[in-house]
Parts: sequence; C-alpha cells; structure tokens
Amino acid sequence: MIKEIYDAVMEGKVDEASNRVQQALNAKVEANDILNKGLIAAMDIVGEKFGEGELFIPQVLWSAKAMQAGMDLLKPRLSSTDRTAKGTVVIGTAKGDIHDIGKNLVAIMLEGSGFKVADLGVDVAPERFIEKALEVKADVIAMSALLTTTMPSMGEVLNLIKAKKLPFKVIVGGAPVDQAFCQEIGADAYGMDAADGLRKVKGLLGR
Amino acid sequence: MSLQVSREHLLKQLGYKEPPQPNLLGIVDQMLGLLDDLVEPRLAFREIQDEKDLPPFFTGSALKYAGAATLGQKLENKVTDLFDNGKPAEAYILDTAGSIAITKAGDILWEEIRQDAAAKGYKKGLRRTPGCRGIDLEMQNWIFEKLGDRDLGIHLTSSYMMFPRKSLSFLARFGGKLKGTFSCKGCLQYSNCTLRG
Repeated sequence: MIKEIYDAVMEGKVDEASNRVQQALNAKVEANDILNKGLIAAMDIVGEKFGEGELFIPQVLWSAKAMQAGMDLLKPRLSSTDRTAKGTVVIGTAKGDIHDIGKNLVAIMLEGSGFKVADLGVDVAPERFIEKALEVKADVIAMSALLTTTMPSMGEVLNLIKAKKLPFKVIVGGAPVDQAFCQEIGADAYGMDAADGLRKVKGLLGR
Repeated sequence: MSLQVSREHLLKQLGYKEPPQPNLLGIVDQMLGLLDDLVEPRLAFREIQDEKDLPPFFTGSALKYAGAATLGQKLENKVTDLFDNGKPAEAYILDTAGSIAITKAGDILWEEIRQDAAAKGYKKGLRRTPGCRGIDLEMQNWIFEKLGDRDLGIHLTSSYMMFPRKSLSFLARFGGKLKGTFSCKGCLQYSNCTLRG
C-alpha cells in the first residue's frame, strides 16, 4: 500500500495519492510510515531526479501537490512528534525584487519535502526577514533576486543577523547570484536552482 | 499582432527534449489556449533626437530609439491566481508561455524599429536592455520618460523593475560603429540554458 502511495507521488497523481493515503489509513497503516516511506521518500527521489535533469519543473510541482494532498489527510492522524517539520524556512524575494516564480518553486519543493515554509512574498525588507524568522523560530532564511541591483539587500539581512548574533542559516539564489556572491556576503549556501536549493537547505540542517 | 506560442517551443523552454506524458501535454495545450485570451500586447517606440546627456550607448550613432512592450495585466493576474489556488504547475507553464510571448513581442517591436530606420536609410542596428552590458538599470526611468505619452500601462517600481512583469524595454541605435554583437557565452547559465537552440 505504501508503494502505491509512493508511486502516486512520483507520478504526480493528486487524486490517486489522496485515495491511496485514505485507503492506507483505513487499513490502519501507521501514519508515520505513510509519511516517511511513502510521501517524503517519493518527494526525495523526485527532487533528485529533477536535479539530475530526468524530471522537469511541472512534474515536480504535481508531485509536490500529490504529496500535499496526502499530507492533508495525514495531519490529523500524526502525533505532535511525528508532525514536527524537518525545519522552518522563511522565504522571500530581496528588497526591490518582484520576480517570484523561482522563489515559489523553491517554497513548494521545500513544503513537499516536509519543511515548514513562511513565504513573505516579494520585495521583502531585510528587517522583515529577521522579524518573521524570529516569530516562527526559523532555521533558515531563503532569499532570491533576479537582478544585480536587488542583490545587495541580501547582504543587509546577513549584516542584521551578525549584528544581532542570530542563529539563522541563510541560503541565496536567483539568476545573477553565484557562489562568489554567496561567500562575499557571508551566506551559508547558494542554491543554483530549486532542486539545488532544497538539497542545500537539507544539508544546512543536516537532514 | 500574432504572439502565437507553439507547443513545441513551450515544451522546449520547459526543458522537455522528448514529448512528455499525455496529461502534461493536455495541460500545456490548455495553458496555450488560455494565453491567447490573456495577452493584451502593447508596444511603442520613439525616435530620440539629439539632446544633452544622452545615454553613452548612443554615442556616435546616427539614429536613436527607445522602445518598450508589455503583455498586460490579465496574464499576470491569472498566473498569480493559479499559484494562489493550488495550481503551481499550471501557473509555471502559463508563466513560461508568457516569457516566450513577451520575447516575441520584443522581436516585433525591434522589427518595427528596424523598418522605421530602414525608411530613413539605416539597415544595421543594435538594441540593448537596461541592466545589460553597460546600460544601467536606472536608464529605465529615462526610457519611460521618453515614452511617457504612450499608453503602455507599464509601471516602474522604485528598483526600476517593470510591472506587469511580462514587459521589456530597450534602447536601439543605428549608424556609427556597431560593436559588441550579443553573445550568451559569458552567462552563468550558459551550459544549462533552455533558451539556446
């Protein structure tokens, strides 16, 4: 039964995933097993295949949606310990930047992999990232920028974190961003694309 | 104005080299169908007369233009709506189709400018977008000042980004020394780019 749930998520079949999770729950399969061996295990492979160029973004998004449909049924059955997310990520585009497609993809992939995501949207002021990260007790702040002109505000977030000695890890991404810029501003990781971003967040948190 | 986006072009831009599964093809066709009703293309250009403090890009040129194009707000709203209503794959596909369409609108605008220049005796020209190769992004203000009386419906943010997001602008020059033809090779995404042939 877990195998069918896994396959439904792999194939991005939303209704199928939902039905199979319901069947498994009716058959008294452990909710935790459905979550970890079915939903999350499938999304992990989807992320890997995307990173390797075997799957493309639309398929990843459908898989994430299928996973979410299964999760909606599982949530009431999971104990508070089971339900603990892999980590909490505050995400948004840099101050002045209104291009959010990439950021949305990363958010969906993170959620699909079991992270809790607080999405601040676009044009987010450095102070707002910090404020939200403190509010939700975030592990990671993820920021993206499409243009070189909006990149510097990501550095301001890092400056605030250093000045206040806050524990947040920071990952940056977006078309003009690269590893050199990541190091220059003192961010913890650079995500080349959505799949790499997900991989790096997992790496930062040792997941 | 035809901004027709083909299924093949869209699939290629989405990364597919082989035909994907039928359900994805169905959604792709559905989004392409929507695109036709959602784009409200507007484009405009203006010839720039000699004046003080022209952008350096125009130095030595005989004929100068500023131009911009947009697909309008409806497409923007629909993409947001799809994302907000739990249809991110559809939103992404439609957004990608919009990216192809705005590129086509830019090509149409460029062709109109070239025809205008040809009528004035200039055949070879060069266009550059603010933020690219020596043209500061701040130049957006200058371009939209020049196009101020054209009803394009493009709003510039304080960081010089255009809204609706499926919009573009550029400076164009004809005559004089046309150096620096465009090359993708310096781009970080060069090896993974889906836009190249």
